Amino acid sequence: MPAEQMGQIPKRLRVIYAVSTVIFVAVLAISPIRDHFAGWKRYEKGYAKFASTRANSRQLMADYHGGIDQIWLPKLNVTDRCTTCHQGISEASLLDDSVPQPFRAHPEIPHHVRAWGCVVCHRGQGLATEVSEAHDTTLAWEKPLLPIRYIQASCGTCHQDSLPETPQLNRGRELLVKFNCEGCHRVQDIDRPAMLGPDLSNIGAEVSRAWVYKWLKEPRTVLDSSGNVVVDGYDTNPRMPQFRFKKGEVRDLSAYLSSLKSPLVESSQIDPSVAAAWRSRSDLLSYGELRFRQMFCTDCHALAVVRLGETQLIGGDIGPELTKVGSKVNPDWLVSWLRNPQAYLPHSQMPRYEWSDKDLYAVTQYMLNKLSDPELLSDVPKLGPATPAEIQHGRRLFNAKGCASCHVIRGIAPQKDFGPDLSNLGGKTVSELFFGNAKVSHTLVAYIQAKTSDPLSVNPAARMPQYHLDSADLDAITTALLSMTGTPTYPGFALLTVPASQPKFDPAGDFGKLYNRFKCFVCHSFNGYGGTLAPDLSFEGSRSQHPWLVAFLKNPQTLRPTLTVRMPQFNFTDQEANTIADYVEMVLQNPLVNKAGVNPKDFTPQMASLGKQLYFVKYECQSCHTIGATGGYVGPSLTNVGNWMDAAWIEAWLKNPQALIPGTIEPRRDFSEPEIKALTAYLLTLKQKSQAGSGTAPGGSQ
Amino acid sequence: MRRYALLLALPLLTALTACRAKHSARKPDPPRNAYDTEADWNNADHLIPLDYQQSQGKRLFYMYCVWCHADSTPAGPSNRPNLNPAPHLIDDGTVLNSMSDTYLDNIITLGGSAMGKSASMPPYGRSLTQDEVRAIIAYMRAVAQPAYHKPARPLPHYKAR
Repeated sequence: MPAEQMGQIPKRLRVIYAVSTVIFVAVLAISPIRDHFAGWKRYEKGYAKFASTRANSRQLMADYHGGIDQIWLPKLNVTDRCTTCHQGISEASLLDDSVPQPFRAHPEIPHHVRAWGCVVCHRGQGLATEVSEAHDTTLAWEKPLLPIRYIQASCGTCHQDSLPETPQLNRGRELLVKFNCEGCHRVQDIDRPAMLGPDLSNIGAEVSRAWVYKWLKEPRTVLDSSGNVVVDGYDTNPRMPQFRFKKGEVRDLSAYLSSLKSPLVESSQIDPSVAAAWRSRSDLLSYGELRFRQMFCTDCHALAVVRLGETQLIGGDIGPELTKVGSKVNPDWLVSWLRNPQAYLPHSQMPRYEWSDKDLYAVTQYMLNKLSDPELLSDVPKLGPATPAEIQHGRRLFNAKGCASCHVIRGIAPQKDFGPDLSNLGGKTVSELFFGNAKVSHTLVAYIQAKTSDPLSVNPAARMPQYHLDSADLDAITTALLSMTGTPTYPGFALLTVPASQPKFDPAGDFGKLYNRFKCFVCHSFNGYGGTLAPDLSFEGSRSQHPWLVAFLKNPQTLRPTLTVRMPQFNFTDQEANTIADYVEMVLQNPLVNKAGVNPKDFTPQMASLGKQLYFVKYECQSCHTIGATGGYVGPSLTNVGNWMDAAWIEAWLKNPQALIPGTIEPRRDFSEPEIKALTAYLLTLKQKSQAGSGTAPGGSQ
Repeated sequence: MRRYALLLALPLLTALTACRAKHSARKPDPPRNAYDTEADWNNADHLIPLDYQQSQGKRLFYMYCVWCHADSTPAGPSNRPNLNPAPHLIDDGTVLNSMSDTYLDNIITLGGSAMGKSASMPPYGRSLTQDEVRAIIAYMRAVAQPAYHKPARPLPHYKAR
């Protein structure tokens, strides 16, 4: 190198130096530039601009400070930066649909956003400041936003009791119970009931092997002429789902099950003189049908009828569907069962009726002859007597297929947790799920829906049976499963859990015996325990007069003009009816109704005539209530209310109906005290003379 | 020189592209994205998406109002034919769209007779909360046929991207 060039940097080197400096500065600039143009800043500035167009801009900008905004709740482990972009989240004036997102306010819900944060319910990544990171699944965060359609799942995470505001979640939980999911899976907060499927210890005496074969292949009997299931599986057969058995498996299982026979527990003998007298009568079957209808078997059991060429199920779903029961059961077994269902199934919800031999004979003959289908078993191959090899293999299959999860057979150990644990399914991340060959998007919701609607699409070797769900039910079940997030990860949430209330009403004594025999709780509810088919009887003693109750029990009638469901006639004896009425009168009382404080003799005819005017003119009560043949369909008929209701109850009801039956349709009005007295006086004059028992199925909550 | 310009532009471009948030352009199906849906009474295939408030209104409507303000009820025939004057159907937009929210709020809260209408409509002000009444009105607006449009008023100039 020449001396004059010493100390000088070659041009080439200088250029490299200049370029690398520029690159260095540029690289250093990436972060500040990125920060400057960050999505959240754009939204935040957008909010300031938007707020300036609103009339109350000063109020909207009160909390605005131009930086990352976050809700920090150390007690709940919540650090949510969602409000950085969702600036208007708690501004009531921005609730309108015309307000553009992300500035719109949160709809009014019982929990305030600032007190709970966002991620607790909506999931997603609370700490993120990028739109996609906050909302979607990323490599580092696998709990994306819960689609709003399933948001009720988040309510259910803490609220294990049912809330009126979350119908979809409640329906989903009902379906989980209805489909007996807890038979094979561990499900959060649903305990295994005493009985899931029927006890099969004596199934061979009840049905033939051919019927078992048919049932195992297709556990529904209502098919249209083309052999299709017209009514979906859920309705025709809420309990037993369709399992995938191979031909040989069905043969061996049917052999094993039909070998389970023991003598009938209850006599199947009908008084021979009654049977002889009725056997040849032409009106035997029509009398049987009449009694079948009069006993309102269809309150609990459904029958398929063809209407306008379409098969429909009419009736309840508390008991099994009966359209073709005559081709199913062994006649002796049917008589024996009807006499004492609990002798076969201790947990059966079927009441033990007091049958006369005449009724029992006529009704069973009707069921065996009319509710039958001679073609039902025509497609079952000739099976012959069960061989020991078949029986042995069938017994092995019974365990291998998980049958013992729901069904009891004496001598076979019951199975528990046959399927995977679902109690924390809703809290699983995508990488914890196995999608197999399922062609669905890789999200938790899609996984649950694919598994539930078609288990084989995810795992070709799945043992889970096939359920038939419509889209609303599928969404409901998905919601319920998403709500099960297992043990709370943060101790703060364990404290917030609202456990499901578990009411129980199990009276003792003479009434208790009748209550358990006639299964009052299957349809009626008592302080939250029991069914919803019939009126709530929690305060029936405060409402009804004793003689009316006795008459009603002996001859139940409904005067709710549009109601097709009615209480069955149980043929109570006088003593039984009195025992029930006495207990109801003594125990099922509401403290708001002071019977001693109201004397029916205080009501004068003048008050009654004023009450009549108020009833028909001022308040137009006839819009909803029927007296005689005219009036509305909403409330119960008041034709016989003077015999039915207690004066103190009427007064308390007129003061505040919701206090006596929460959620009843009749609104609370501001009647004055004299108006209440006058209306009560008028209502007490409404008495039906001939039939003391014809009141309505009491209640106002339907 | 062009090579240097290219070298310069590269980091700048990287920095610029990093600013843009990635957005998948999948358009969500509105009913699936809604809190709840309601089948259109006049067209069974048409589902109306409902937000939280409207779905609460739907629940309350089926509890209290459906008995008289619909042609069929969950429990069987409607009470509507028994009443004179006949109550308006909940989705009857031709009549209800012209009534203001305040008027509807008043008639539900105070009852028909207080508003100079039939006494058949009872007052619900002491049984339902204000929020519940508003929810019922929101539901009524959602299912109205023809569709309900808010009365005109100055719209915000700002439109979010």
